[in-house]
Amino acid sequence: MKFNSLLENPIYVKAGYILAILLALFLPKIVSDMYYLGIVNYMILYAILCMGLNLILGYTGLLSLGHAAFYGLGGYTTAILITRYGFSFLSCLIISGIVALLFGILLGIPTRKVRGDYFCLLTIAFGEIFRLVAQAWIEFTNGAMGIVGIPIPKIFGWSIRTESDFYYLGLTLLGFTYITLALLVNSKFGRAFIAIREDELAASVMGINTALYKIIVFAIGCFYAGLAGSYLAVYQTTITPSNFRLEESCLMIIMVIVGGMGSLLAPIAGVIVMTIATEYFRGISEYRMLIIGVIMVAVLLFRPQGIFGTSAFKS
Amino acid sequence: MFFDVLLIGIMVGAIYTLVTIGYSMVYSILKLMNFAHGDVYIFGTFICYTLLSKYSMNPLVAILIAALLGGLLASLVEVVAYRRLRSEQHRMISMITALGAAYVIQNSNELQWGNQVLAFPSILTAKTFQLFGFTIPITQIIILVIAVSLIAVFTLFLKYHPYGKAILCVSEDIPTASLMGIPINKTITMVYFIGGMLGVVGGILYSTSYNAVSLAMGFRGTIIAFTAAVIGGIGSLGGALVGGMLLGICENFIGVYVSSSYRDPITFLLLILILLVKPTGIMGSVDQSKV
Repeated sequence: MKFNSLLENPIYVKAGYILAILLALFLPKIVSDMYYLGIVNYMILYAILCMGLNLILGYTGLLSLGHAAFYGLGGYTTAILITRYGFSFLSCLIISGIVALLFGILLGIPTRKVRGDYFCLLTIAFGEIFRLVAQAWIEFTNGAMGIVGIPIPKIFGWSIRTESDFYYLGLTLLGFTYITLALLVNSKFGRAFIAIREDELAASVMGINTALYKIIVFAIGCFYAGLAGSYLAVYQTTITPSNFRLEESCLMIIMVIVGGMGSLLAPIAGVIVMTIATEYFRGISEYRMLIIGVIMVAVLLFRPQGIFGTSAFKS
Repeated sequence: MFFDVLLIGIMVGAIYTLVTIGYSMVYSILKLMNFAHGDVYIFGTFICYTLLSKYSMNPLVAILIAALLGGLLASLVEVVAYRRLRSEQHRMISMITALGAAYVIQNSNELQWGNQVLAFPSILTAKTFQLFGFTIPITQIIILVIAVSLIAVFTLFLKYHPYGKAILCVSEDIPTASLMGIPINKTITMVYFIGGMLGVVGGILYSTSYNAVSLAMGFRGTIIAFTAAVIGGIGSLGGALVGGMLLGICENFIGVYVSSSYRDPITFLLLILILLVKPTGIMGSVDQSKV
């Protein structure tokens, strides 16, 4: 296929990376319209989420439909710590990531026993428990009304107010996500969990502790969701349980699938395509889920490896 | 009070069992989480609602038409979204197309009927009778009888009818069944058709006993069906019955005695606990993966 050979040519790939980095650094100078910059900020948010999810989905083959819950755990942790206890944003960011990580370990432990599909159900159940408890525990989470009035975050005296400030904050987080993930995937550790994805039984025969690796990878993926949730809390200044519905988890999965699983940057392509599609079709928003569903089925039927994915899953 | 809650629990459990059977069969054959199941049954329930409230049709005819349409939609989903992916791809891929199909149906339902709770006309009498000093509403007895007899008919169908036996063969081993001359595609489409039909009947019974139908019940139905199937043990009819009943009864007791807003979280927690203690479900057998 022509498109694939273009992807394999190192010169085009390098030029593409450099162009993308330059564009990313100067985007707020080029895009003056705050509305469009706002859309870009949501893209960054989803890019962080999807890169974390891709680690779970594309690198270990666990289908998690509860990613929104970890995103929400991060969001609520930040919102509650900032508004009630006056924590600084940076500490909230770290704590949010760690809270999501801990819950990731907790939910990851059953993977030792539970097969793939049941695990998927487990994540759905966890996601729903999180959302329903956030709705019902009014004293702590303020119920369906959510937590409002989250103050402007400050990092080392830099107060983040405008869309372009948030853009750079998001970009930093995205850069952090990419670099840490790239280091992880290319390490010995990373090769072990790629082996698990390719053939779990063979990997375990080679002496890889598959159960432990799955838990760790799952928890790390959740950690990034916690970061993204923290970013969402300060960016939106409000947080409600409806931010973290199952549809959000599904949307993330679609983004990863459309972009391509198993490659670090490919999900970003999915994020861009899906965000533009949903924005473009905003005028006919009642058809939104219909269009998303059709894209989902069509992509998987005709290009199961996604736009930039290198290889599809083997049966 | 205790007895009433138990009775309602049993009725809800019987309905859940109906919804679960089709789901469990599909799962045991294809190992595919059919996310579209709940949306298909809510589509059928909405059709029934329209037929009853707009055209004031005979309830029996309306249920029949709705069940047929629901079955057709379920088979259509199978043909369009699942069939091509059945053999050569990773299972996860077809699970995600299932999710996509669910979205398409859900959104189409929303365009037609909106996302409000609609008042479902009650097709059964509201009379009650006395038994050993307890007041028992006839509606619940009728629903229970319908559900149990459908379950019985389906069990007999699987056991004695050639088509039913074909379904069991395919669920055992697809390549071998195909070598024995069983038309795989037709059989699988039939499973979807029957599953969709039973689901629609379950959805209608549920809606008529609560006098309500809404879009959100579709997704909840998918989760309920999967939960019940997993609790009981996937692929066995007895498992669907045990899981459905247990879920229905537990849910009602939690709703009445603990808290109604924590009903669903506790149900899900129960599911997680059961998966942790016995991942194969109460009636399920161990499935060893082979090299």
